[in-house]
This record gives sequence, structure tokens and C-alpha cells, in this order.
Amino acid sequence: MLMLALESSAKAASAAVFEDGKLLGVTVENSGLTHSRTLLPMAEDLLRNLDKTVRDIGVVAVAHGPGSFTGLRIGMAEAKGLCWALQIPAVGVSTLEAMAFGGPDMDGTMLCCAMDARRGQVYNALFTVEGGRPRRLTEDRAISIAELEPELLAEKKPWVLLGDGAELCYNTLDRGRLALHLAPEPLRLQNARGVGLAALEREPRPVDELLPVYLRLSQAERERQSHLAK
Amino acid sequence: MLILSVESSCDETAVALVEDGRRVLTDQIFSQADLHAVYGGVVPEIAARSHLEVISILAERALIAAGVTRADIDAVACTYAPGLIGAVLVGVNFAKSAALALGVPLIPVHHIRGHIAANYLAYPELEPPFLCLAISGGNTMLVDVRDYTDMRILGQTRDDAAGECFDKSARVMGLGYPGGKPIDDLSRQGDDGRYDLPRPYVGQNPYDMSFSGLKTAVINIAHHCEQTGEELDKAGLAASLCRAVSESLVGRTMAAAGELGYDKIAVAGGVAANSRIRGDFEAACQKAGAKLFIPPLKLCGDNGAMIGAQGYYEFLAGHTADSSLNAYASMAL
Ligand SMILES: [Zn+2]
Repeated sequence: MLMLALESSAKAASAAVFEDGKLLGVTVENSGLTHSRTLLPMAEDLLRNLDKTVRDIGVVAVAHGPGSFTGLRIGMAEAKGLCWALQIPAVGVSTLEAMAFGGPDMDGTMLCCAMDARRGQVYNALFTVEGGRPRRLTEDRAISIAELEPELLAEKKPWVLLGDGAELCYNTLDRGRLALHLAPEPLRLQNARGVGLAALEREPRPVDELLPVYLRLSQAERERQSHLAK
Repeated sequence: MLILSVESSCDETAVALVEDGRRVLTDQIFSQADLHAVYGGVVPEIAARSHLEVISILAERALIAAGVTRADIDAVACTYAPGLIGAVLVGVNFAKSAALALGVPLIPVHHIRGHIAANYLAYPELEPPFLCLAISGGNTMLVDVRDYTDMRILGQTRDDAAGECFDKSARVMGLGYPGGKPIDDLSRQGDDGRYDLPRPYVGQNPYDMSFSGLKTAVINIAHHCEQTGEELDKAGLAASLCRAVSESLVGRTMAAAGELGYDKIAVAGGVAANSRIRGDFEAACQKAGAKLFIPPLKLCGDNGAMIGAQGYYEFLAGHTADSSLNAYASMAL
């Protein structure tokens, strides 16, 4: 069965096609153009070059967040349109988990996935690699780097930093006390290959159940809540 | 030709099925008004989130309600501009991937053109050319509809839209959001000469409009009453406001119709639901011997069917797009 995977949670857009669990192709574009213009044509091109059509797709995998609110919605709206029209299920996967699945896979590696969440925080989750695949150590969360540091210190092994927040963590965390490695550049940023690999571990669901996980309320909701709390 | 049409430019998510631009098989609309009411206006991020949650559910409901299958769909149309960008993006990206997967053409539709086209659904006999006043929460413009896809803006608001003026006024009067309906309801019990409100003329173009001064005048009256303890005659203020807005709109529209020699006048958009404006247009058109077209209330607000109606004519004009279609916050008509 053919699986299309989409990633649009940050600056780069990426599409990948898997057949029976095997990666056939992946494209990544970091043109700076909006994902709304690039992502679907990329998927279309990739399928065409693989001699497949949209109608061959049996399941769509997509990064459901955290990440750029608008970026996530572009990928997820496209996933929903495809799944609804083709009457196929969808798999939403955590952006951070997808990052871990796309990262180094030597057993025992400790993975710290981080995206710059602004306002002094990173979207983060920690994983360890077991049997060639990441095992989750924490939930996805928005956390300050200061709060993250003791968690990393509790583990004596070196940490591999992944994601667009990797450099921020590398430069901010105390490297005198922590052994930190930036993941090799081609593995560092999330892409649709990781989304597909993470999705292979999950059960596809009806498309109506596919929902983003922003990890953050809208600004208006935050302001209203803090106002009500006073 | 059966078109599946998607609308998500503001706080209504809608998916409709429309045949040949004129016959509505179904129009599934989810209004988010309740989600935004506590904020006193539409919150763009909340709107975008809500669109994504419901869009595939509405599409499925549309198929069931119309009793058709995916194979019956000949094209997919969507609003691609103007609107809240995060909101429009959801509909555009859903629509274009659905069109790609269904193997049918994708038709981008300008939201205001859609509002104008709501008249084709309400009046099967209506054909261009005609004059149309498009009035909503986001736009207020007087349009020369020369043909289905050939339009010229004769004049438009220089600042706030007419609907915005109602919403902001309702807010200061404590009537909640959205403000159009409560002001309309209240105005019926009020004296429309109770408060003296401005009817500004702006610049060189006699068909351009302005509503920010009117809004400010209403706010000042409300604040004055608050400060002095004088009782605010809310019904009177609502009636005076409806009258001022209506006179700003109806006068210009009738003048334009006279100048261009049009005897067909259409009104479109959410503010066209206002009973004072409807009544004044009826009277003015009767006096001028012109035929008036105003859609029923359910076709005045944002809906999916109007996008399917205009989409049909855009398709006939060859206006289709590929999967690189983007959404835009603003776009010339
Ligand atoms: Zn509208």
C-alpha cells in the first residue's frame, strides 16, 4: 500500500512516499515560499516521478504539531482534502516524534528534539533509541530551556539535539556540565521521511479525527484566561 | 455541472453542492459565531482552528444531504480571497487537494464575487449587466457587474465596512457580537430621528463611502451618556444608526444606477439582511422604476452555495487553478 507523508510544521516543506513500509522517495524544499504554494505540487511531482498517481495513495500521514500554527494547518487541510476525496484514513504524528524517527538510529542514542517556540520556550520531547527506533521519554510540551536543563542533566549519556531549536539549545544549555551534539545537518530538521516512519508505527484513523496538536492556546484565549484568573 | 464549493474566509465554514451555478443541492454551514462572541469579534486564530476541525465533516454531510457520490462532482470551487488569511488557507488547501484527488478542475473564487452571485441562486432570471451593492462585515462596495466575471468597482468604503460599523456600535451599546441582528431588532422600536448622526461624503468620487465617522459618533453618544448619567435611548440610537447607514448606501446606489442607466439593482452580503436597508431599497427602487434583487437572509451571510454559483461562471470563463493555488488576505475584485 502507498502512503503519502506530509511535513509543513516549520520553514521547510516536505513530502515523502512509502510503499509497503519502504521509502520510495522524499522531497524537501526550503524556498521560503508559503507551503500553500509548494507542498501539494511537491507531492504531485514526487508521485509523478515515481510513476504513481494520487489515486494510488492508501493512507496519508501528516505532522500534527507542534509547530507553526499556519504551517500545520496547510499540511493538515491538504491531508484532509486528500483523505476525504479518496475515502482513505489518515495518521497524524507528533512533529517531534517524526523528528526523532528521522534522526540517528543507533541504539542507546539519547535524542532531544526541540523547535523554537518563541517567548523563551521550545517545543520539546525526549527520546532514547531502542531496537533501532525511538522510544519516548517525555510527552510533547512547550518548556523553557532552563526547565529542560535539569532533565537532561539527570541522564549521564550525551544528548543529540534535533530540530530548528537544536542550535538554540546548544548555545543556551550549559555545555560545561552537559555533553551535547548537534545532529548532522541532513538529519537535524524534520522532514516527511520521519513523518512516514513514525506513522508506520500507528494505526490509521478516520480523517475527521485528524486534529492538530498546537500545545498552545491562541493569544486571545491566553489573554482571556489570564484576565479571568485575576 | 455539479460543483462542490468551499467557503472559509471568516467565521463560517461551509461546503455546498451547486448545479450549473443556479441550483443549490445542499449548503452545509457551520457558524463559529458562538466561539467568537466572548471576544466581541472574530479572532483569526480561533477561526482558522475551527475551520480545520469541521471541514471534512461538512464535506461528508454535503454528499449525504444531496444524495450524490464523489464521482458526481465535476469541479471543486473555493474562496481564495479576500478574508482572514489563516482561515482562507484552510478552505483553499482542503479544496485543492480534494480537486486533485477527485481528478476534477479547481476553481478559485473571489469572496465578494460570491456574495454577488448569491443573487443568481435567489433569482434564476437575473443576468448581468446590473448594479450591485456588496455590503458585509469586511467590505462595502458598489459594483458594476458588466458580465458574470467582468466587474468594475464604482465606489467603496474608505475606512470601515458597514458591517464593522454595526458590530462596533453594538459592542458599545452592550448588544454583543455579532451586532447586525440585535441592532436591527432594537431599531424597530426606536425613533430614527432620535440622534443626529453624520452621513459623510468623501473625496472626489461620489460613490466612495466612509463609516468610521458614524461609528465614532455612536461611540461618543454612548460614552457621553455613561459619563453624564443621562439615559441612553438604545432603540433610538439603533434606529438612527440604521437610518444613517441606509441613507449612505441607498442614495449612492440609486445615483449610480441613474448615471449608468441600470434598471436592475442587486444587494449582497451580510448587511443586506438589515431590514431598514431592505425596506429603503424597496421603496427607492419602486420610485425609480427599477427592479430590486436582494437574496433571502440565509444567502446574505457567508455560505458555500454562493461560491458554487460564482464558481460555475468562473469555470465557464476558463478561470481554473492548479495545486499551487494560494490564499490571499486581499485581492482586487
Ligand atoms: Zn462575506
